[in-house]
Amino acid sequence: MGKKEIILSIFFMIISMTIYVLTYQFPQQTVALSPKVFPQFVSVCLFILSLVLLIQGVTGVKKESEQKKVKLALNNIFLLKMLTMIILAFFYIRVLPLTGYKIATPLFLAGSMLLFNEKRWFMIVIVSIVATALLYILFRIVFKIPLPRFNFFNYIFTKGV
Amino acid sequence: MAIIQGFLYVLHPLHFAFLFLGVAGGIIVGAIPGLTASVGIILLLPLVYQLDASTAMVMLCGMFCGAIYGGSISAILLSIPGTPSAAATVLDGYPLSQKGEAGKAIGVATIASATGGIISTFCLMFIAPQLARFALKFGPEEYFALMIFGLTIIASVAGKSLVKGLIAGFFGLLIATVGLDPVTGYARFSFNIPNLMAGFPLLPVLIGLFAISQIFIQLEAVGKKVSHYKQKIERVLPSFQELKNLFPTIIASSFLGTFIGIIPGTGGTIASFLAYGEAKRWSKNPDSFGKGNILGVAAPEAANNGTTGGAMVPLLALGIPGDVVTAVMLGALLLIGIKPGPFLFREHPEIVNSIFAGMLLANVLILLLGILSVRLFPLILRTPDAILFPVIFTLCFLGAFSLNNSVYDMSVALIFGVIGYIMRKNGFPMAPIVLGVILGPIAEDELGRALIIAHGDWTVLFQSPIAIFFYAISLLSLLYSLKRQFSVHLKTK
Repeated sequence: MGKKEIILSIFFMIISMTIYVLTYQFPQQTVALSPKVFPQFVSVCLFILSLVLLIQGVTGVKKESEQKKVKLALNNIFLLKMLTMIILAFFYIRVLPLTGYKIATPLFLAGSMLLFNEKRWFMIVIVSIVATALLYILFRIVFKIPLPRFNFFNYIFTKGV
Repeated sequence: MAIIQGFLYVLHPLHFAFLFLGVAGGIIVGAIPGLTASVGIILLLPLVYQLDASTAMVMLCGMFCGAIYGGSISAILLSIPGTPSAAATVLDGYPLSQKGEAGKAIGVATIASATGGIISTFCLMFIAPQLARFALKFGPEEYFALMIFGLTIIASVAGKSLVKGLIAGFFGLLIATVGLDPVTGYARFSFNIPNLMAGFPLLPVLIGLFAISQIFIQLEAVGKKVSHYKQKIERVLPSFQELKNLFPTIIASSFLGTFIGIIPGTGGTIASFLAYGEAKRWSKNPDSFGKGNILGVAAPEAANNGTTGGAMVPLLALGIPGDVVTAVMLGALLLIGIKPGPFLFREHPEIVNSIFAGMLLANVLILLLGILSVRLFPLILRTPDAILFPVIFTLCFLGAFSLNNSVYDMSVALIFGVIGYIMRKNGFPMAPIVLGVILGPIAEDELGRALIIAHGDWTVLFQSPIAIFFYAISLLSLLYSLKRQFSVHLKTK
């Protein structure tokens, strides 16, 4: 228990308060169970629990400050990697409907493999192509699930989906 | 006999092929550390979504049983439980493997798992219909009370910190309030965004919380040394005499696992440790446990696969999950379009029978695949993370996309992946969120119905003896969790 608990408990308290306040915008209902009852109950409980966590965090932070802070450099490298991974995934989501599955997926796979420290370029190329083909067979042929295709009109008339 | 129809359905070559794929996929998923039965079911769900309900359920059950068994493989070979329920198997499985008896340990784990699974499926076939028949008497107020009981499972699966577990559970309930209110149809917290009006889509939320957050956790482990099993696996089957000595423990542990599985909020991990403890207590040589006693593999493996059928009892008959995996199964059932509960037995007996037959045959397949492919297991464990996790990452997005052909769903999966990662890294368990997301809307719906029938009279909730019974056991379940938390707190001090 420590600083992280304090930050997270404040985050959950803000969320629960926001939800509670937003329920006052709901129209008045005459039915048996108003749509505001359940969210209000849940947000009050979440607020109380977050308060308990905050108290636990405040009492625990003193103990934590005595512990040494380690692996800061390692954490920074990982954070950078994770952020890159999220950005890569974000681009994949945006690009997939435009370029279609067959173009976007090998590139996404190659990028993810690089982030997972795969350095052998031939491995990256082979796995990206083979895995794309296998996933295509699994989705499209075995389970008959449509995958996004390159769509010229989509590309011309939309700026992303 | 209706069950024969179930067998005929599952034994159709196409349906059997799907079952086979489910079991084999489950074993692989279970064997790979970092991938659990829940992740396997979630990743399989987009694929089976378009199959007919019975085939989809048969394949998902195959994945469930296979993954619970598969967890034992890495537990024995690498001392890393592939799934949480295989944690007790490490205690004697790994010492056996170090002695060069990995083959025998896996062989016994396979036999014990299959026996546990078969016994628990028979119990499921016997108990679930009786319970469902009784549950037919339930009205909305009883169902609401039952869902409250289901929600108290949140406290049982809260993990190390009860407060964090409960916060996660209420956060899940809050996620579920976004979108159309089940009673009035009012769009809550949607801010006039059409996508939000339908609420957060369940499958992408599950994919994000369980699978994508796991990918981020694996990314953190990049560069760390990974252990491999390098010895040759020999002699898989135990001798007849050894089997004869093992069977009393396997049978007892199977029944224990089934019983534990039926109790909501327990699950394979508790069952396997209890069975291990009992096997040690009744053993003539308790000191040998932890040093490579084969009974220490047989007991937990029979028990954790015993929970598979047990946990399906409350799920199928009452519509409340027994543990985390069955909570995900409940989500899967709802997405496929099946509402579990007593009406399932009356309105769709063909689905129920194919689930029964599918689970029995899945355990037979575990026995065959486990024994025949034992030498391939070290190869599965050697799959490099740099190949495996990028492929799973892609599978996550394609799975999220495929359900509604929606890019929005992919974004939801990514956002919940990041939320899940942050929460997991800070000690918030994922299971309570899932329970909240799945059970919250059902509880609210039943509450609304009960109040409409009673013209808004809230006392109706406390008039039925069955409802009062469920409130009482909910309270007991909460008190038990509090007591357990308090004793853990005292021990750590």
